[in-house]
Amino acid sequence: MRLAARHLWLGLATAPIIGFFALPILYLIAVSLKTKDDVLNGSFWPTTPTLANWPAAFEAANVVGFIVNSVTVSLLAGLLTIALTLPSAYAVLRLKIGGQWLSDVTLSSYMAPPIVALIPLFFLLKTSGLLDTRAGLVLVYGLANVPVAFWLLTPFLRRMPLEIEQAAAIDGAGPFRILLQIVTPIIAPGIVATFIIVTVLAYNEFLFASAFTFSDATRTLPVGISLFQGDRLVNFGQMAAASLAGIAPVYLIALFMQRYLVSGLAHGAVK
Amino acid sequence: MTAFTLDALGPDASRHTARRDVLWVRFGRALWIAPVVFALAVTTLYPTVFLLGLAFSKSTLGKPFRGFVGVKHFATALQDPIFLSAIGRSVAYALSTSLLQLALGFLIALLFASLLKGGRFLMSLVLLPLMTPPVMVGIAWKLIFAPAGGLLNGTLINYGVISQPISFLGHPLLAWLAIAVADLWQWTPFIVILCFAALSTIPEGVHEAALVDGANAWQRFWHITLPLVAAPLSSIYLLKLILSFKLFDLVYILTFGGPGFATTSAGFSIYRRAIEQFDVGRAAAETIIYALVIGLATLPVVRMHQRFERREI
Repeated sequence: MRLAARHLWLGLATAPIIGFFALPILYLIAVSLKTKDDVLNGSFWPTTPTLANWPAAFEAANVVGFIVNSVTVSLLAGLLTIALTLPSAYAVLRLKIGGQWLSDVTLSSYMAPPIVALIPLFFLLKTSGLLDTRAGLVLVYGLANVPVAFWLLTPFLRRMPLEIEQAAAIDGAGPFRILLQIVTPIIAPGIVATFIIVTVLAYNEFLFASAFTFSDATRTLPVGISLFQGDRLVNFGQMAAASLAGIAPVYLIALFMQRYLVSGLAHGAVK
Repeated sequence: MTAFTLDALGPDASRHTARRDVLWVRFGRALWIAPVVFALAVTTLYPTVFLLGLAFSKSTLGKPFRGFVGVKHFATALQDPIFLSAIGRSVAYALSTSLLQLALGFLIALLFASLLKGGRFLMSLVLLPLMTPPVMVGIAWKLIFAPAGGLLNGTLINYGVISQPISFLGHPLLAWLAIAVADLWQWTPFIVILCFAALSTIPEGVHEAALVDGANAWQRFWHITLPLVAAPLSSIYLLKLILSFKLFDLVYILTFGGPGFATTSAGFSIYRRAIEQFDVGRAAAETIIYALVIGLATLPVVRMHQRFERREI
């Protein structure tokens, strides 16, 4: 009986929290189903639900193109980040190369707000002819997320049992082979979690993307969606539909990978 | 390199090969960390040097570094009340919203932790705000706060609380609250996850022992839970603080800095100066000033975190 009462209490406390965190997305869905007049009535539910906003949004702006840009750029950037970070994180931790200063500098570099790098990177991309290209964004995100990946990967590497690596070394494997054939498969869940997080970070980024791209062929989704706002008559229904279409890919990832994600995030922070 | 050449001329050939081997090994070792060093050079070292150059020169987005101007840009920036108040607002915003979110996130984590199995399911649910692109977060909340047809105004009018819609985003203080709510929606879940992880590091026996000793729930929380998670909590606060200083997307979408300059954050102000007004030299000086302010503002938190960590050892 006391247990039931306790559960009731916890349930009562949890409900408003869940409600609050679900509300904006649910409202976005509701608005995407509303007609233009219906949007102005201010109630939650659409009075005459319609699907018309969805095709209209895809027609009004190059939403598919934006999504393709975002997905390609963020996936490639995520791969680049992991490829750059994994050997270095391993070397610092196991081969004692670079030492504490490298971890410290890497982490503290993350403290500078991205606006610090905005202008210099603008000139770098301009000189190298990478301004307004997807390759430019891949490079920027791939490099900029290295500190995050470093921070997330290190705890996974630290928990790796040392004996296995030592056994492989005795068998004559070099450090690079040990990393590739022994360490990587074992800490694969951690690598996957880190990859997802840096990829999502790249997918969601707005500041650099808005400054470094200015044509529909290269714009990423957040930038493309933000352009909906510039129109004099904002069509809220279409904007909601386009936003949802853009959120869908990351939510699908979250749905399938949530176990990895939580452990990835959690291991990074708790030292 | 010089040492190597000189050595090669020397009489002892075997010593020379040994030396070369050492160099090779050193080079091989350096290769391991080269990628991260390269990333740091491009994203941190180069921007810093470049910014310093810009800040002391006459520069536009089209043509940088046209003549040395001394500290002129710094002087103008430091005399600009709009920029200074933007910095003040950013600092106040970051310190207060991060603290609020830490408290809230920690409470929710405690609640979820006591839900046991259900907690895991809820954890995957709170992952969603974190994964939502900030631009879309801004749009969702903009729809809720909109004066015509917004959910909040609609609900308040339908329940007879107000008769005329309120322009939440057009009022200086309410607009900040709106940004803070959207920020809270996006980042509190992140803090929940991190706090949940911190709580799960507490050894199981500790609470039972205290229970046997007759400690009540509050005493257990205050004397056991809190001291044990103090170090992770301070590092979570630091992390959220850094994220808050980066506030940009939500301002861009929700208010575009307005009404007037009421919600112009430092980052947004610098962005407009550089990308819209092309005044890159001035923007560089402002960036350096802001980076210094962030350093100063986070220093006490860094110190606190170090103290907590030392206590643990």
